[in-house]
Amino acid sequence: MEAARQIGVELTVASEQPSTLAAANPAGLLTLDFEQPQRAADAVRVFAQQYPINGVVGVDDRTALVAAAIATKLKLNGNPVHAAIAASDKYLQRQLLAKATVPIPRFVLRELDEDPATIAKSIAYPCVLKPVRLSASRGVIRADNPQSFASAHARLRAILADPETAAACGDRARQYLIEEFIPGYEVAVEGLVVNRRLHVLAVFDKPDPLDGPFFEETIYVTPSQVPSGLQKAITDCADRAVRALGITEGAIHAELRYNERGPWLIELAARPIGGRCSAVLRFGTGVTLEEIIVRHALGMPIPSLQRERQAAGVMMIPIPGAGTLQEVRGVAQAKGVPLVEDVQITAHPGERLVPFPEGSRYPGFIFARGETPAMVEAALRDAHRRLEFVLV
Amino acid sequence: MPPPDNTAEIRITAEPIDNQRCKFVLSVPVLSGGVRRFARAEDATGSPLAAAIFAIPELAVSELIVSGNIITVVKQSPAPWQTLGRAVGSAIRSALTADVPAVTPARKPASGEGSAVSDDALYEQVAKVFDEQVNPMVARHGGHVELIDVQDAVVMLRMGGGCQGCGMADVTLRQGIEGMLAQLVPAVRGIVDITDHTSGANPYFQAAKK
Repeated sequence: MEAARQIGVELTVASEQPSTLAAANPAGLLTLDFEQPQRAADAVRVFAQQYPINGVVGVDDRTALVAAAIATKLKLNGNPVHAAIAASDKYLQRQLLAKATVPIPRFVLRELDEDPATIAKSIAYPCVLKPVRLSASRGVIRADNPQSFASAHARLRAILADPETAAACGDRARQYLIEEFIPGYEVAVEGLVVNRRLHVLAVFDKPDPLDGPFFEETIYVTPSQVPSGLQKAITDCADRAVRALGITEGAIHAELRYNERGPWLIELAARPIGGRCSAVLRFGTGVTLEEIIVRHALGMPIPSLQRERQAAGVMMIPIPGAGTLQEVRGVAQAKGVPLVEDVQITAHPGERLVPFPEGSRYPGFIFARGETPAMVEAALRDAHRRLEFVLV
Repeated sequence: MPPPDNTAEIRITAEPIDNQRCKFVLSVPVLSGGVRRFARAEDATGSPLAAAIFAIPELAVSELIVSGNIITVVKQSPAPWQTLGRAVGSAIRSALTADVPAVTPARKPASGEGSAVSDDALYEQVAKVFDEQVNPMVARHGGHVELIDVQDAVVMLRMGGGCQGCGMADVTLRQGIEGMLAQLVPAVRGIVDITDHTSGANPYFQAAKK
């Protein structure tokens, strides 16, 4: 919203639930059914007859799909619907990537109602169980043997039994993926696709090992310290994935692993990195990622896609445990750590914190900037050590 | 008001609203029972905290609002808050540890002084919009919006209930309330939200996951 204001663009904000003030600003507030992207696109076409729309941007996996449907319907800059679907459906994504020979883990789709004991005997270990349509590593569990597979399966089944979660997964709520666990290091690639061509905006290292059994993210630091040849292989892999999924326009966020066999595409989403985390990225003379995305959607000139010279990083503060948050201590001390630029606590007092894999809502974020990635990483860890979450 | 206890630790949390505006929420009150807006450095005479923030050269402060334990800073500098927040925090700490009041209460302008429509008249008009239109609407999500003051035709408000800490609070403010006031009270020049959103215990929508 701020990016649009910054460049003087009038905005219509669409939400799933009606804004209480929608009647007061019919041009600026719109209610759409995100579960029905085509219906939402039809509604926007009618809306646009009165209030013209020149660009559309989704902010997460679900709205990326709705945005694609709207862009197609109104002939705006955006992804085709099939590409947005492929990016949000892990099974479909893997099928397309495999067909295009993009390196990915071996995978199989299973029904939740199938006997887990039978499946457990027929698969290779270690493996990873994944819901087909959840994001932010929610419900993703590693299993090393038939016993841990059974336990992971029961946990995933319980997660997908939640009505809200099931609704978010749609017709995939009774299915899950079993995927080969790829050992190695993980990186994230942020990019902007313009006319089918991927422009890499940043490669983030994830210095904390993501070996399971759950896959809670912590630190992202850029620029990556991966050797340049391997980095090229990583971004080439992401580029091939973009083309395999048919993504033609807009932001992408890809997660890859690499090991002695090269890079492996783990996930690719047709959306930018999560909203808070994007604050770590600055381009040219301080342009934000959001401004670049809005400008691209509207076909406006983009001043620069070159990230600033300094190293930058963000820590998604690990969920400290299960319980109700009472208070967070040490925020001022954490902010006082050299190179730390901000500590944002997003969980509110009284909020119930739910650890992974059932939960996925981080209680806050730490941002740092400095000369080198190592200094930034050290500052993030130092700041985190000073925080104390009081749960009851 | 008496100066705060200098021996107590002053905790400051920065809450950027956007690249121009940032709220600094303090663990100690700065100005109890009122609100003070500074539109230029000259207004800060007698208020060392405001003077210190205006004096940070890299910020290019264009506006400063102090209310209770919240200081809202509006800057012109394109640099992100992450790089500037520390300087603001230092200025606040140093002003609060001095032996003089950090901020003096607002002086009400004499009749006819300042903008074409008096702030008192604007206050009445905005209060009517809040009472009759905004609050009945946001009450549907358990929220309420309190008009704190109008100074130099800038409205200062505080959100509560379901609006406090709500993931859609900025949408409500910018796409809802701002538009309503632009239409119904066009003399209003700006809106500043002085809510401490981190303390919202019952937000209607959760903040973003990432």
